[in-house]
Amino acid sequence: MLVSLNWLREFVPYEGDIQVLGDKLTMLGLELEGIDDPFENIKDLVIGHVVECDPHPEADKLSVCTVDVGDEMVSIVCGAPNIAKGQKVPVAKVGTIMPDGMKIKKAKLRGVQSLGMICSERELGLSEDHEGIWVLDDSFQPGAKLVDVLNLERVVFDFDITPNRADCLSILGFARETALAFDLPLTMPELNLVESGGNAADDIRIVIDDADLCPLYNARIIRDVETRKVPDWMRFKLLAQGQRSISNIVDCTNYLMFELGQPLHSFDLDLIEGATIRVAPATDGMKFTTLDDIERTLTANDLLIWDGKKPVALAGVMGGANSEMHSGSRNVLLESAVFRPGSVRKTARRLSLPSDASYRFERGVDQVMSRFCMDRAAQLMAETSGGTVVSGVASAEPLPWKNRTHGYRHDRCMRLLGLDLEPDFAKKVFTLEGCGVDDTDPTNWLVSSPSHRLDLEREVDLYEEVGRVYGLDRIPTVLPRVAKSLDGAVAAETEYGFLKRIKTWGAGAGLNEAINYSFVGDEDLDRLNLPAEGRVFIANPLSEEQNVMRTDIAPGLLKTLKHNLAQGNNHVRVFEVAKKFVTDSESDTATKEQNCLGILLYGPRHDSDWPWGSEDVDYLDVKGLVEHLLSDTLKLSEPEFVLTRDHAYLEPCVAVKIDGDVVGIVGKVKADIANFYHAKKDAWLVDMDLAIVRDMLAAHTIKFEELPKFPPSRRDVTVIGPVTVQAQDILRAIEGTGGKILESVELVAEFVPEGQDEERNLSFRLTYRSPTKTLKDTQVDKEHKKVLAALEKALPVRF
Amino acid sequence: MNKDLKSFLEGLDSLAHDCESRKGQACSLEELDELRIEFLGRKGKLAQSMGQLGRLDNTDKPAAGKKANEVKQLITELLDSWQVEINAAKTDMALSTFDPSMPGRKPWVGTLHPVTLVMDEICDVLTGLGFEYASGPEVENDWHNFEALNMPPEHPARDMQDTLYVSDKIVLRTHTSGMQIRSMLKQEPPVAVICPGKVYRRDSDLTHTPMFHQIEGLLVDRNVSMADLRGTLTAFVRQIFGAKTEVRFRPSFFPFTEPSAEVDISCVLCGGKGEVAGSTCRVCKGTGWVEILGCGMVDPNVFTAVGYDPEVYSGFAFGLGVERVAMLKYGIGDLRMFFENDVRFLEQFS
Repeated sequence: MLVSLNWLREFVPYEGDIQVLGDKLTMLGLELEGIDDPFENIKDLVIGHVVECDPHPEADKLSVCTVDVGDEMVSIVCGAPNIAKGQKVPVAKVGTIMPDGMKIKKAKLRGVQSLGMICSERELGLSEDHEGIWVLDDSFQPGAKLVDVLNLERVVFDFDITPNRADCLSILGFARETALAFDLPLTMPELNLVESGGNAADDIRIVIDDADLCPLYNARIIRDVETRKVPDWMRFKLLAQGQRSISNIVDCTNYLMFELGQPLHSFDLDLIEGATIRVAPATDGMKFTTLDDIERTLTANDLLIWDGKKPVALAGVMGGANSEMHSGSRNVLLESAVFRPGSVRKTARRLSLPSDASYRFERGVDQVMSRFCMDRAAQLMAETSGGTVVSGVASAEPLPWKNRTHGYRHDRCMRLLGLDLEPDFAKKVFTLEGCGVDDTDPTNWLVSSPSHRLDLEREVDLYEEVGRVYGLDRIPTVLPRVAKSLDGAVAAETEYGFLKRIKTWGAGAGLNEAINYSFVGDEDLDRLNLPAEGRVFIANPLSEEQNVMRTDIAPGLLKTLKHNLAQGNNHVRVFEVAKKFVTDSESDTATKEQNCLGILLYGPRHDSDWPWGSEDVDYLDVKGLVEHLLSDTLKLSEPEFVLTRDHAYLEPCVAVKIDGDVVGIVGKVKADIANFYHAKKDAWLVDMDLAIVRDMLAAHTIKFEELPKFPPSRRDVTVIGPVTVQAQDILRAIEGTGGKILESVELVAEFVPEGQDEERNLSFRLTYRSPTKTLKDTQVDKEHKKVLAALEKALPVRF
Repeated sequence: MNKDLKSFLEGLDSLAHDCESRKGQACSLEELDELRIEFLGRKGKLAQSMGQLGRLDNTDKPAAGKKANEVKQLITELLDSWQVEINAAKTDMALSTFDPSMPGRKPWVGTLHPVTLVMDEICDVLTGLGFEYASGPEVENDWHNFEALNMPPEHPARDMQDTLYVSDKIVLRTHTSGMQIRSMLKQEPPVAVICPGKVYRRDSDLTHTPMFHQIEGLLVDRNVSMADLRGTLTAFVRQIFGAKTEVRFRPSFFPFTEPSAEVDISCVLCGGKGEVAGSTCRVCKGTGWVEILGCGMVDPNVFTAVGYDPEVYSGFAFGLGVERVAMLKYGIGDLRMFFENDVRFLEQFS
């Protein structure tokens, strides 16, 4: 909301510092965004008096003027046809920078020196008028600043208004707050409406179908208006508010909207048929052409203004092309109404037609003030157009404004705010804000809120007024005692706590935590051959690249990889803890959200070749991370890694199982997919289901195992077998055949003889130990022999 | 002096000289051992000289024996001192070939995302005050996200947040405030929860990303006041930004709190002066303040929606943007960097 300082001062005599005003209003809840000078770009223009004006000796269309600019006489060559001796004109002297950025320099035009420029309004960015140079009032003194003699606004505040403060969408609203803040008197503009016979109520009948949608509709008639030049004072005030002048009639309605907050509409009375204005909804599918000449398709939720035969305006949103004022219009029907905020908002949003008017109606206008606004607009219209205002008002008010009264308990207010103020303070606040206060019952006052404060709907809203006027910033600070139940004190690990543990592990394992958007493009999921069913789509995405919630952690991580490769970062070791989303008809949000851990490894295993060498990461790196997390860190059972065929985007793909349940997958991104993300090397991925892991963890407890009392005895064996026999198979077979004294088996070496591609040698170390005695070599040898014999039987291997 | 004695003593002297003259000959401990055997060994030169002792007169023997011992000691000391020198040279050699400037063998260095770091830091302060974690869905229904929070359909406050919709009734949560509702429905007061998490808005430019992180806080009990709210927020703001940080409560509007406030902190760059080295501070744009969160006292309509009696209970709620705090804390200028995951960015935080 833009607020011109001088306009504000017409209501309230604030003479202090402008920054102080802005700060004070900010602390009342009207946040100052900035202070601007709307006429900054013409501040150097001065008044010039054309003392001489002669034809240019070398050019027919140019004139050579001698211009008195106050401190000197300058020669200026001017091309405008309307230039004449004796005029007062705006002059840009040498050195002045014009609104379009051009700097005025000394120039020679066809041999005659020109020291400046005489300007048109358009050149000054004030209007579209470029018929010629701008001829100013003869009373202006040469040399005076243009902005000063025209009394142009130099200070315009820009405030951010929260949706509850509809009352502050006008100069008047700010004047009220300024008066409140500085204890200044508020002066309303005087009404000097001259009515001249007839009766508007006889000319137009107002019919309102639904009082709820339109509690009040007033209209006045102004006859015999002429299209005239809008007076400078009005058009420059509007310009300072960011509103260009349109016509003398429309400018008057805009003027009142800015000044008092009531949006008004003017119809061409001669285009209104049937001497009737009716407020009633549209019908579904109905067409209506608004005054921007766009045909709109309406619904039964849109409220229309009709005449006796046809719709003439979208109530509170925009007028119709069939009834708008035009240059030949003679008679005006001026509307000042109140519409239901929700209805206006729905229509404005559905049609994408936000306007200054709908913005105010949506938030609520002051029903009591509505009549005054119309009368003042009618007065201004008559004054600026030469028209006459027909006596009387065509009016319907099926739902008159009722003052709302709320209880106010001061002690409760003080308890909520954490303050201890005298009741008199609250009373003063309410009174200054225009509320009625009945304190007959000292513990429960009755406070009636004024019609402009639609936000004062409940007792608690009154507390806010006391708080904000006293200053929320002056409330003491106290650290609260947070009461807790015993049950809460022994709660299990929270989801946040668990996820934090996973993240801490990730960072500890040497991975960088990434955070990707939760949404991806439909295409990203298709590219990974992910199922089309179950996707949660966004109905109004910002772009097609962000139109669906991810059903898988991979697309985000692959985007991260792509971005890094593009930046020349060839070592990528990232993890992300985030949710996957799939549709779920059982859920109250229609969506199932599942936490997962994604890991992506790409490029060299180590940051530097020395001393590690330059090998790239491989399966054992990602597998090792998974083992490190599940069994070493979380102490869950040893996971099993099972080759899985036909995965959507991984090959090989290995399922990670704990006690038979799949908790995640590990694998290499298929080459064609990796290629899309510009990955020239293998990209290894992990995707762990954290919901399952968390459940397993909750069921798991750590139990101390006694340390062994007797020494171990170890035997190594090298198993020669086909490459199709997995290490895990051999380990399982050994474990299965081992007697009571076989404590553990581990793989210690792999050797593939050169030129051999069908067989490999795997060396295992078997640890034997008895819990009750020191084993003898002969006993161990005997057991070891048994193990090997059984292994040979179980698998196609030899030693 | 007896001739035999004289030649015996001269023999010992020349033995000592002989040994002294061999200085520098032994460069290693092995060579030194050889010298030791040559002079002091069982069949060494000293032993051979001592073999002559029997030929001397008995009266000369004490003098001869004394001399022999002196020479033995002299030779032993010589050899020992050479051993020290050789050892020192060896150590010196070993150290001079040890290069401490070779690059170290570092384990992989992992990092947490700055959003996680800041979130943890803030949550730690709040859990320290007794707040408990709550988590809930990111895809939320309209009732939790808007209606129960006193934002009925067509309420202009819905304009304050551009919403991403899944359907008419399902949205991507626009704030973590819906968790206030879920938390209160789950239990009776007292309630003291924080809910950190992702939120979504239909907004994307230099200062907005369509996804970001918030932390919601809610305290409901009997007699909770705005002074408690001010205390809680001041405590954590000072923890994050330093004990000297000024906190300002500015009246504002949120449909689910009444009264509502926005909280500004004194600018982290200019310290509230509004300028740095004579020019307008780029962080606070010269105002000296930066907005950091929104808060207020829980609106009675919200209590009614969850079945709490607003006449009995009061409470406060607040919500803050994590990225905003991270940007201020670490001096990150571009919001989008948070979600590009450039490892050179990620590696800077730990």
